Amino acid sequence: MSFKLHAITLAAGFALSALTAPVLAEPIKIGFNVPLTGFAAADGNSALMGAQLAVDQVNGAGGINGDMLELVVYDDQASPKEAAPLAVKLTTQDEVVAGISGSYSGSTRAAATIFQENSTPYISAYAIHPDITRAGDYVFRTSFMGEVQGRAGAKLIGEMLGLKRVVVITLNNDFGTSLAAGFKEKAADFGIEIVAEYEYSIKDREFGPIVSSIKADAPDAIYASGYFFTAGPLVRQLRAAGVTATVVGQEGYDGQKFIEIAGPDAEGVIITTSLDRDSTDPVVTSFMAGFAAKAGYPADMVGASGHTAVLVMAEAMRQAGATDKAALRDALAATTLDAATGHISFNGLGEVRKDVQVQIVKDGGWHHYTVISDPVLLAPPEQ
Amino acid sequence: MLILDLTVQGLVQGAIYALIALGLTLVYGLLRILHVAHAALFTLGAYLGVIITNQTGSFALALVVAMVVVGVVGIGIYRFAYKPMLSQPPLVALIASIGLFIASEEIYRLVFGAYSISFTDPPLQTQVEILPGISLSYARLMVVGIALVFLSVLGWLSASTRTGIAWRATVTDPDMARSCGINIENVRYLNFFIGSALAAAAGVMVALLNNQVEPTMGAVPSYKALAIIVMGGLGSVRGTLAASLALGVIEAFGTIYIGHLLDRDAIAFAFLILVLMIRPQGLLAKG
Repeated sequence: MSFKLHAITLAAGFALSALTAPVLAEPIKIGFNVPLTGFAAADGNSALMGAQLAVDQVNGAGGINGDMLELVVYDDQASPKEAAPLAVKLTTQDEVVAGISGSYSGSTRAAATIFQENSTPYISAYAIHPDITRAGDYVFRTSFMGEVQGRAGAKLIGEMLGLKRVVVITLNNDFGTSLAAGFKEKAADFGIEIVAEYEYSIKDREFGPIVSSIKADAPDAIYASGYFFTAGPLVRQLRAAGVTATVVGQEGYDGQKFIEIAGPDAEGVIITTSLDRDSTDPVVTSFMAGFAAKAGYPADMVGASGHTAVLVMAEAMRQAGATDKAALRDALAATTLDAATGHISFNGLGEVRKDVQVQIVKDGGWHHYTVISDPVLLAPPEQ
Repeated sequence: MLILDLTVQGLVQGAIYALIALGLTLVYGLLRILHVAHAALFTLGAYLGVIITNQTGSFALALVVAMVVVGVVGIGIYRFAYKPMLSQPPLVALIASIGLFIASEEIYRLVFGAYSISFTDPPLQTQVEILPGISLSYARLMVVGIALVFLSVLGWLSASTRTGIAWRATVTDPDMARSCGINIENVRYLNFFIGSALAAAAGVMVALLNNQVEPTMGAVPSYKALAIIVMGGLGSVRGTLAASLALGVIEAFGTIYIGHLLDRDAIAFAFLILVLMIRPQGLLAKG
């Protein structure tokens, strides 16, 4: 027993000395909360992969004025009760200069408040809840708010596709409800008649009853919010039951997994998202190639979002340095950057202004369908 | 027509619930343990079903192998987790079971990856018209078929064979059964094997319906099956069956008509509360 205790003390001592050992050049630390276990682990892994790719690229090109970037990564399980203490740890104990969320809305909201309280700049890479940036002036978002993307969905279906009888299927979390809110807000403007609405929970994979009811509704299009792991089974079950209406989704579908789950039934599904895979822009093509090489699977929206958020932060650090957080915040607010998810600039609330990409599944892959550039329709709220 | 369609969808879902909940109710009947880790076996079955089908191209082989392997794993859980705790209060085993379940989700994630896996070429997708205007895929029909066949075999086994009689005797009074020369350990092993194999069959079929297997897919069955066996009158096989089918149908209608107020799980638990208010002893249990 005493030998065992002794060994533990010794090991702890070694570990401690390793931690406190002096390093030659102090890297610039960016906190990164991301779900690496639990139901959102797949998205979390992609986000982290994209973020690390960006860090590698920045460091490979000489870092930030000679200093290397380093991500301090914590697993938040996409859960607010995990994210809040991690944000405290990042801002106080790890003393990061800035933070990035590679996580979902619940956890990102919880962390954003704490980053704001500690006056530490924080970027939400792909969480969409409106209240995230309302935490304060240190919080930014490089992806679309749910409402904005929902409005884009209304324009896409009503005007660009010319489909008028629409069924709305809503995932009953903050992601789905904010998308549905944006969609319903603008639906009438584009001549859309919502013939029925259904809700489901994130745990549902079995949509038999909803599918049966939609068969009776006979819509032209179905606006269904969800993630690939709910949308994949949904689309498969819709097609299996003979429902042929056009299915329009959002960035939650984005990724090869959706096509793998829905199989041939995925063909023709259209989504609003922020990554154009067919882009010939070198910023996008180099990201696509780099991500596939690093991750071993094709790039997705979440990976591109993690990548974009790190590059935006790095760009602000190039302008303002990485010591003064207030200066870094000001530099972030003024940043404009061409990234994998589009041309990034922020409004007064820290919300991104950019075009919405529309992708369609063709021949077993996501491809360019169209772009929605409508600064008025897509304007995020200013407060 | 929609009403008929929803009823059919509900019965299919109910058959899945029945396959999962039956193993749970068997374990509870025998050992008075709430076997939460049962849902982990459901997930394991689903993984094996997809992987073996993709490797060999034979769904039937995958189903059989998944059931046998998971059955053996179920025996392992009894032997190494529950058996050493049998002298402790049931709460101890329950906590161990919850721990086992949570650990299993992360083990699956580490072994099979965080992303879900799918059939490369899902079998049994052809639609057949079972009633005018109502068609189901062979996969859905097979869910009902499997539930019917396995549960009838089980019913016959327990009613008409020596093993079945030994089993029922052990459930009723383990000490008396032992003194009559029944090897109650063997009964328990068999019990875990059958219950776990049924959960595996449910897992394989759910994998086929959704074409998706993910580490956390046992989360919903883990607690919903508990609700079902409570509703069925803890330990009652027939009650569990009735509760499973009733819940499937209630959920199907609830999703459409009150889905904007309550989600599927909320509907299930509201129904559970209602049943317990009217029949605290469970649906089919004798007062």
